[in-house]
Amino acid sequence: MPRRKRRLASRIRDYVRGLLAFLFSNVGVIVLVLAYTIAGAFMFQAIEGGGEMERAQNMTRARDNTAQHLWENVTLALNLFNETELRERIGMEIKKYQKIVVTAVHAGWDGTRSSRQWSFSSAFLYSLTVITTIGYGHLFPRTNWGKVITIFYALLGMPLFLLYLTNVGELLARWFKCIYALICLCRGCPGFTRRRVARLRPQYDLSEAESIERPPAWRSRHSESEGTPELEGRYPRELPRRPEYIRSISMPQPYDPRYRPPDPRQRGWSEPVAHQPGSPVSSDFSYVTFDAQSITVPISVCVAIMVGYLLSGSLIFGMWEKWDLLDGAYFCFISLSSIGFGDFVPGERVYTPRIETSFIVCSLYLMLGMALVAMCFNLMQEQVLHYIASFKRAFKRLSRCKR
Amino acid sequence: MERQHPISASFHGSMRSRDSSSTIGSDPREKIKDCFRKFIAFMFTQVGVGALVVCYAILGAAGFMHIEKDNPDEQLEEVKRLRQNCAEALWNITVNVNVFNETIWVLKVNEVLRLFQNNITAAILTGYNGRSAQDIWSFPAALMYSLSVFTMIGYGNVVPKTVWGKISTIAYACFGIPIYILYFCNMGKVLAKTFKWLYITAHECSRRDDTLFEEGGIQPVKRKITVPSTACLWVISFYILTGTIMFGAWEDWNYLDSTYFCVISLCKIGFGDFVPGANIADSADGSHVKLVINFIYVLLGMGLVAMCYNLMCEDVQVKVRELKEDLKNCLDDITLKITVCMNDTKYYHQKQSRSAK
Repeated sequence: MPRRKRRLASRIRDYVRGLLAFLFSNVGVIVLVLAYTIAGAFMFQAIEGGGEMERAQNMTRARDNTAQHLWENVTLALNLFNETELRERIGMEIKKYQKIVVTAVHAGWDGTRSSRQWSFSSAFLYSLTVITTIGYGHLFPRTNWGKVITIFYALLGMPLFLLYLTNVGELLARWFKCIYALICLCRGCPGFTRRRVARLRPQYDLSEAESIERPPAWRSRHSESEGTPELEGRYPRELPRRPEYIRSISMPQPYDPRYRPPDPRQRGWSEPVAHQPGSPVSSDFSYVTFDAQSITVPISVCVAIMVGYLLSGSLIFGMWEKWDLLDGAYFCFISLSSIGFGDFVPGERVYTPRIETSFIVCSLYLMLGMALVAMCFNLMQEQVLHYIASFKRAFKRLSRCKR
Repeated sequence: MERQHPISASFHGSMRSRDSSSTIGSDPREKIKDCFRKFIAFMFTQVGVGALVVCYAILGAAGFMHIEKDNPDEQLEEVKRLRQNCAEALWNITVNVNVFNETIWVLKVNEVLRLFQNNITAAILTGYNGRSAQDIWSFPAALMYSLSVFTMIGYGNVVPKTVWGKISTIAYACFGIPIYILYFCNMGKVLAKTFKWLYITAHECSRRDDTLFEEGGIQPVKRKITVPSTACLWVISFYILTGTIMFGAWEDWNYLDSTYFCVISLCKIGFGDFVPGANIADSADGSHVKLVINFIYVLLGMGLVAMCYNLMCEDVQVKVRELKEDLKNCLDDITLKITVCMNDTKYYHQKQSRSAK
């Protein structure tokens, strides 16, 4: 009986732990961000949606006032048949009116739009621009409550979005590595691997034979005095021009007491490979294991992905919004780098009914794009760390040579 | 084997050359190297990075000003034309319509005005803001623009109109953002260190009396002191308050608006609905000083935010560790209790069964 009770308690604890883990897992974070954004959209719509009719009425009143003013002060007061003076006065009045219009537009009035400004989709885009810190500024809160709530919404939402970025970026990086290993390096197909190992075989034998030549102790003693040639032989990993992926599969590991293989999780180093000279050839293939997480993706690929995403975005938005290619690329860059000037915003056309779907497409593009950029940064960081490590090793070796 | 030889030879060569250079004893060369090293080290210190950021911003400002200033502003001309057309239409109405019939006149004028208003709105939404390119791209405004590019704020009150302006903005951001991130990290670290030192000093000063009383001057084992996140929040809110009062006084914004502006700027959102010095009615000269001060305010504020981020990360880590330990202890206690309880009941059951026998 008490045993069962304990089991129940532990089960509940397990459930809670599982729920928490799920919330902080990838799916949970995505759901959380989406829910937060949707909640924000409803909230801002409720707060900001009210004042729009009033602004439109204000504008109509201002126009009426101007017409009245023109009638009373200009047409009635002046001599009608003096054209130049009349024109001058009318010009002045219109300039005044233009200023009113400009300030009204800056304060949020946007012409005779049929649809409302704070529709659900635009409010969604607004809350997304707040938490991603893009901040286009095509929409901004006008009421006091809207401003206050925007501040707190941003303070809470930005850490959430950062969490989303790191989480999804990591996930995408893992997937991308798998895909990259499978497709670009042909790591998945066994025939290719066998052929590659067969190709590499002579080189193994070479380095192996060399390692047999002299006892390790002797070698290490002499290499210090002699310098580089032995040292070079002892690290077959640093062979010139050997491609990256070959190093990362399997390599006979020469014996050296001071030399430790790098962490297999970080670098491309599969299982410890003790190469026995007498072992049959087939045993060679057994340790050609496929571990996608151990490879690093070169920086150029990451940059290519980002540029490709940018260009595809510019094509899509260019077609949709009739921007030219430069404008589309500029918009995508400004958005994805979270600068967000807001001079180009999809769906913000003048005097055409705005397309609600384009806001949603833009939001999805942004969410995916930000995660993709985070992924690329993740991969690039790994690669750079890898470069730095190898550079350090090389430098160490160089300094050892000097002695 | 053959492949390895060239490299080893080159190693030898480089070694030899290095040896020879050192054995010849060229002191000036060493000195130059030292200087160079020191220079690089300095460039990566806070002062160097700060100077780098400011230089980059100034360079960018000059570049953008040069690119954008010569842009003939078609929109300004168009708006002027629109206004003239409107005046013409009004004159035509006045000539054609019976002047002494007020209602018809007002109705027609209203129609013309509505057309004019729609045109102006369209012009504004595509970027017209009542200023010529010469006015917009003054040096402080360009400085603010380049700041808003590489800090990723992106106010959007000033945007490039020319093709080259857009291309150079993209390139400028590509190089500027890493520099800014360097500045952010560096400034954060330095400020965090300073603030921590200040905090610890203050902490010890305030506690010295107590410890002296209690333990006769012998300090207990020093615990690692982390700055609590509330202190960071106080600093940030103080900074925001300063900005609020400053901008509120200058720009005649109310306090909510200027708080909103400060938070939106420091969070890098940058809607651009409130930007200092962007008021159309303002004279150009007064706004320049404001822009420069805003530049300094934002740059310093970013460093402060980085500091708080640093400190809060540390604090949160410590807190999480403590929480984990607490949780572990708590769980251990509970399991201990449960096991004790179980053993007791088992014992009790055994006893009962034994007594029943």
